[in-house]
Amino acid sequence: MNLRQITRKISTVVLLVVLFGYTFIVFIPFLWTAVMSFRTTNDILDNPYGFSWPPYLQNYVYAFTKFGFLRYVWNSTFVTVGALAITTVVTSLAAFGFARQRYKFGLREPIYYLIFISIMFPPQISLLALFQILVRYKLYNTLWGLILVYSASALPFNIYLLRSFFAQIPQDLEDASRIDGCNDWQMFWRVMFPIARPAVSATIVLNFINFWNEFLYAVTFVTRQEARTLPLAVMFYLGEAWLDLGMLASGLMVSVLPVIVLYLILSEQFIKGMIAGAIKG
Amino acid sequence: MTTATRSSRRTLSSLGHRIRSRPWGAIAMFIGPALLLYLAFVIVPVFMTFYNSVHILHMSTWEQEYVGLEHYAELVPRLEPVTDAAEEGVRILPFQLVWGDKIFQLAVKNSLTWAFLSPVLEIPIAFLLAWILFRKIPLARFFRIAWFTPILVSWVVVGVIFRWVFNNEWGVINSVLQAVGLGALAKNWLGLPQTALPSLIAVTTWKFVGFNMVILLAALSSIPEELLDAARIDGTNRLQMVWYVILPLLQTTVVNLLILCFIGKMKQFALVWVTTRGGPMHHTETVATYVQRRAFGWRTLDLGYPSAIAVLWFIVIFALSLLFTRLLQRREMLEY
Repeated sequence: MNLRQITRKISTVVLLVVLFGYTFIVFIPFLWTAVMSFRTTNDILDNPYGFSWPPYLQNYVYAFTKFGFLRYVWNSTFVTVGALAITTVVTSLAAFGFARQRYKFGLREPIYYLIFISIMFPPQISLLALFQILVRYKLYNTLWGLILVYSASALPFNIYLLRSFFAQIPQDLEDASRIDGCNDWQMFWRVMFPIARPAVSATIVLNFINFWNEFLYAVTFVTRQEARTLPLAVMFYLGEAWLDLGMLASGLMVSVLPVIVLYLILSEQFIKGMIAGAIKG
Repeated sequence: MTTATRSSRRTLSSLGHRIRSRPWGAIAMFIGPALLLYLAFVIVPVFMTFYNSVHILHMSTWEQEYVGLEHYAELVPRLEPVTDAAEEGVRILPFQLVWGDKIFQLAVKNSLTWAFLSPVLEIPIAFLLAWILFRKIPLARFFRIAWFTPILVSWVVVGVIFRWVFNNEWGVINSVLQAVGLGALAKNWLGLPQTALPSLIAVTTWKFVGFNMVILLAALSSIPEELLDAARIDGTNRLQMVWYVILPLLQTTVVNLLILCFIGKMKQFALVWVTTRGGPMHHTETVATYVQRRAFGWRTLDLGYPSAIAVLWFIVIFALSLLFTRLLQRREMLEY
């Protein structure tokens, strides 16, 4: 082994130490919370950094029985799935309509451009007016109100992303499918949509994370306890049970777990979907 | 394609248009639902916000009262000459900004601090990490997947956890400081005016570095190997390579990330709402939290004033993002 190889080995080891150090900083808050969720609050206050053996499972039981987390998990799931369904259908249809030459009409490009620039809008520009609208149409404090608002908020970026994908599909394919006798709907559903599936799944991942974690709209449009989503529930939990650390930690774990489990299974798809979001703004 | 075929194609297609009219049914089916949703939940509310911003809108009765630009007059700072003769010597400019709404002044200051500081913290750290992983380090895939995790976790969860991390009595930061003998530095991080905002900025940096890293790594990997080899043969060392070869090639990506980061921090809401609620004494108040506070927290029950804040901030974000895009993206793009 010559000197060069030795220095390279050493530098790799030093770098690995740095990288593991950073990984530790990334993970320690989560690990700490995970450990706390299996301890009683008294244990935690005695020694915040210890382990308790055997693990104390009662926090999770109480979270679901006493603090109604079953309800909140259901609400979050309902809102996320509902908004995902609407967003996916509505935006792939629109993106297709905006992308293909065949559906061009006079005002199409100005309309598309308007939708495109609204990617940059801060949510406050419509927040209070949306509150007014939801109250007027009895959608305030309902899950359907959240579903509609979430779907609308995801529209601009989703249309932008999918449109560029649909626009890349060669014209020949469209012509061929028309010659084969497809009408517009069949051309979209049988030919184009299957090709766009990778892009669509990227938007689904991105939207799933955004909807599941959404806080601003939820905190503005929902005050009723039965309509709270998980992020809201955690925040209210913070007010009600500030001293019950173990319980709160278990609540956090419940709201993070679905995302983490999916991420472990589909990590590359998650990264792809979230990166697609980087062109945002 | 020759001119002849192009023009003949054009006549053909225009002929086609004239023969069969546009498929309006299909257009309505594809674009209609999105347009309806967009009109009802984006366009109409945006116009309502502009309209509300020149009114006082009572939330309990929905009564409107026209006030013209009164809200804006209170929000927009005025330039006034410095009249105090004693102070004049110290000041560089003979003018000062006078703010009608002192809390709004703090909120703007905090939001801008956040938005300008975060990009210069996040992107360099992310680039450094991406650069290390790019050099064929073992376990690179594991690191990439692991560092990406914080971006997937909601602000509420992150906020609660970091309330604990920064806790005065048993938080991680203070415990570590005590353990290494720097107990004198331990403090109530989120409770003190000087440390609250920097602590929160540290949290957003923690959350976003991995995300930026993954994008920079993808951009690095897309640089053709021959380009880097050529630079190596020319005898550039590592620093020169990064500065003269890599960074110019990554300009588009880096500028996009800087602007994305900037806009994100201009909209900061959830983390503040869960951790400090804008305290202590509005030292972590952001424009977004102030809108929320004026709309629902105060007993004024007026949606007009917060709407005016929203309009102003909307204009500021738009103007600054356009300005930065122009300034930073102006240089000729390198083709490869």
